[in-house]
Amino acid sequence: MPLPHTEKCANCPALDDENCLANQGVKLSSYRPGQKGTIFQICGDPDFRRRMMEMGFVRGTEVMVVKYAPLSDPIEFIVKGYHLTLRRDQASDILMSEPGQAA
Amino acid sequence: MRRTLTVALSGNPNAGKTTIFNAITGARQHVGNWPGVTVEKKEGTTTYNGQKIHVVDLPGTYSLTAYSLEEIIARKFIVESPPDVVIDVVDASNLERNLYLAVQLLEMGAKVVIALNMIDVAQGRGIKIDVPKLSELLGVPVVSTNGKKGIGLDELLQTAIAASDAPQDDYRKRSFIRYGAEVEEELEIIEGSLAASSVNLDGLSSRWVALKLVEGDTEITERLSAKGGLDGLFKQAEASRAHLTDIFEDTPEIILTDARYGFISGAMKRSVHLEATDRVHLSQTIDTVLTNRLLGPVILLSVLYLVYMFTFQGSEPLVKLFEAGFKSLGNLVENALPEGLFRSLLVSGVIHGVGGVLGFTPLIAFMFLAIAILEDTGYMARIAFMLDRVLRGFGLHGASMLALMVSGGLAGGCAVPGIMATRTMKEPKERLVTILVAPLMNCGAKLPVYALLIGAFFPDKKAQIMFLLTFVSWGMALLAAKVIRATVLSGPSAPFVLELPPYRVPTAKGLLIHTWERTWMYIKKAGTVILAVSIVLWAMMTFPSLSPEAAKPFDEKVATLTADFLKDPAVRQVLPSEEALGEFERFRERLTRGTEPEFGANSPLFGELALVVDSQSAGLSPESTGKKPRPEIVQAAEAYQAFRTAKSTVESEKQMAHLRNTIGGRIGIWLERVTGPLGFDWRTNVALVGGFVAKEVVVATLGTAYSLGEVDTHQSEGLSERLRHEPGWTPLLAFTLIMFVMLYNPCFTTLVVIRRESGKWRWTVFAMVYTTVFAYLVALLVHTVGSILRIGVA
Repeated sequence: MPLPHTEKCANCPALDDENCLANQGVKLSSYRPGQKGTIFQICGDPDFRRRMMEMGFVRGTEVMVVKYAPLSDPIEFIVKGYHLTLRRDQASDILMSEPGQAA
Repeated sequence: MRRTLTVALSGNPNAGKTTIFNAITGARQHVGNWPGVTVEKKEGTTTYNGQKIHVVDLPGTYSLTAYSLEEIIARKFIVESPPDVVIDVVDASNLERNLYLAVQLLEMGAKVVIALNMIDVAQGRGIKIDVPKLSELLGVPVVSTNGKKGIGLDELLQTAIAASDAPQDDYRKRSFIRYGAEVEEELEIIEGSLAASSVNLDGLSSRWVALKLVEGDTEITERLSAKGGLDGLFKQAEASRAHLTDIFEDTPEIILTDARYGFISGAMKRSVHLEATDRVHLSQTIDTVLTNRLLGPVILLSVLYLVYMFTFQGSEPLVKLFEAGFKSLGNLVENALPEGLFRSLLVSGVIHGVGGVLGFTPLIAFMFLAIAILEDTGYMARIAFMLDRVLRGFGLHGASMLALMVSGGLAGGCAVPGIMATRTMKEPKERLVTILVAPLMNCGAKLPVYALLIGAFFPDKKAQIMFLLTFVSWGMALLAAKVIRATVLSGPSAPFVLELPPYRVPTAKGLLIHTWERTWMYIKKAGTVILAVSIVLWAMMTFPSLSPEAAKPFDEKVATLTADFLKDPAVRQVLPSEEALGEFERFRERLTRGTEPEFGANSPLFGELALVVDSQSAGLSPESTGKKPRPEIVQAAEAYQAFRTAKSTVESEKQMAHLRNTIGGRIGIWLERVTGPLGFDWRTNVALVGGFVAKEVVVATLGTAYSLGEVDTHQSEGLSERLRHEPGWTPLLAFTLIMFVMLYNPCFTTLVVIRRESGKWRWTVFAMVYTTVFAYLVALLVHTVGSILRIGVA
């Protein structure tokens, strides 16, 4: 289910609120451990977007949530065969094409 | 004879680059710093088939976009002093992401040889790589290697040497990635504009420069604008960027990154075969336990505790051996040299000072070994993963964890490399606060102080107290961070991107090299800075000597005592004159040192007296020696004991008067006004002043202060033994001192690094002032509360 998006992000390639991509995807942070899906878009500031893409978070790539840290944050993912951790609020900048599916 | 080849090793973190570097260069390594920055630069040499090869280990990076300092360094090296060949170490089990860096290197026009490392791990995961195909698709040689087992290294070197002979243009022409018509068009225009401006590119490929301009790379833009007269080029680059952004509805750098991954996944599809395996990786299985929500934190604490047990219990025999070694060295010098200033300098200044620090070398080495194991197995990253949420609450960052760990989060680090480790942090505020609190951690230099005081006052609870100190130091650092982040450095937190590398069994060689490098840094510091400081402090505590007038009362007292002693009738039978007394004292001294005393006719008599004196001081009856000594000898011995005690007291008083009179003593006494409420006396103050230079000096200075004040040098006990018996020293005072040492002023070297890393004197001064005020307040609290509740005062 696409989540409603209220704040406008200055760095998003979409030019207005109506086309905001955040309204069209599912936040990766909504995935439960063991769920996976494919990347639709990365939001956030340009440096972060680029770094994430360099680390392999490119459109169409499959991401699986492995687990949440003991204090529920950060989150561990498998992407392109390796393990990476991101904080919850960063994971919410990564938009997925579909709601999490059981792996 | 061919010239020496320069080969740069590049690769992702955790790709096994260091293992390959160690395997190639062995012990022929040199560790230094990259020019102008404090990131470690490792170089080594090797010879293959008569060809000398100079190997430079570039920092491990995921990319070359100048995101972090490591990336800037790696890129600068390749751009500014192009190596003959770049060996890119690629983790075969994580090929896709690793190839991203390889592609960037290729685009730079470097002569790349790919070392396909850890192919065994890949195979275990059902990843089959067609090596010749991959090599063909990338257009560069690919060699399978196993750094751990040393497989493929000969072939790797051979390939690198062959690659160095290949013409550069061959590499340049293979422009592997076509970015699609729109991008290529803009690249062509910029390349044309570059050619038209006839700017000197210093050997850089014009396609790469064009790519960087399209990406809006600040490094390259600055480099070119320094050359001047390129306004047209920059205008064109801006126009191209705007045009591409318009077409793709996203920034060009994102489009190019996407395209590179597209190219990589194309190459992967044609050269990599993935066998379906249901098997979950071993690492992940291990992590279901080690980073488990409930078990994880428990195991984390246990691991930290084990590290202490290992460091302290494990190193104990060696530490004792070292201490004994320095003690006998001191005795040796003492016997060999005549009494005087020079002997005092050597024994009290150099041997006690430096020895006090070097004696802890085994402990430091054990701790570094433990840290190396945590790092090389991959557990360190899990620690950061589990604790990030906690750290963030204090305005810190997951990467702060590493910096704080290195600074001494596991007791035994050093704030200098710790502060340098903050360079991976991009967010300036979090980085700065990490730099500012890093010196509060329990670094290796504080350990000797702790070890000394804990050994003296908490001998039964060594590990427990150390464990407690770790928590206290974390607590203090976090508290300080929270306060600083809420006041001087407020603002939101930065992203946290951390890889959890697969667990690996570390190699013995890697661990030893790691441990040795860090331990050697410690020894070097002891040999240079601390040697110099020890001598200066010795001088401060030796000069000026006591004036004859001031010394007179003490000398007179000793003379009276001696005269009274010799008047004793029993004594007169054995020691008829002052000369005979002197002779007897020398006799005893030689006896204690184990040298055969030769005093002619007097020997049997002296021997008998000495025997009785010694058995008396040991609390035994004279009869226990087997012989029944004559009563007058027993009487004389008793009188001698009383005389010795009285004389020692006077001589101690004289020494104290001397020490108080010296420069160091005066400074220490002056400081008593400030440190009085903490219970520190002037000798401790002198030691703490010495600690401004390096914390180890605190031990060294205490050693010097108490060895100077000592009378019976040949009956010397360890410093901790001496402190325990020193009046005024209580467990509470020891703990107060520990807290003060933990928190006060960062050492000289750290301050230099803080200045360099923060770029401002302002922060350096801030670090000095806030730590010392903080230390004072905490120590005051500990001492006051302890005194009121009467904890540890007996």
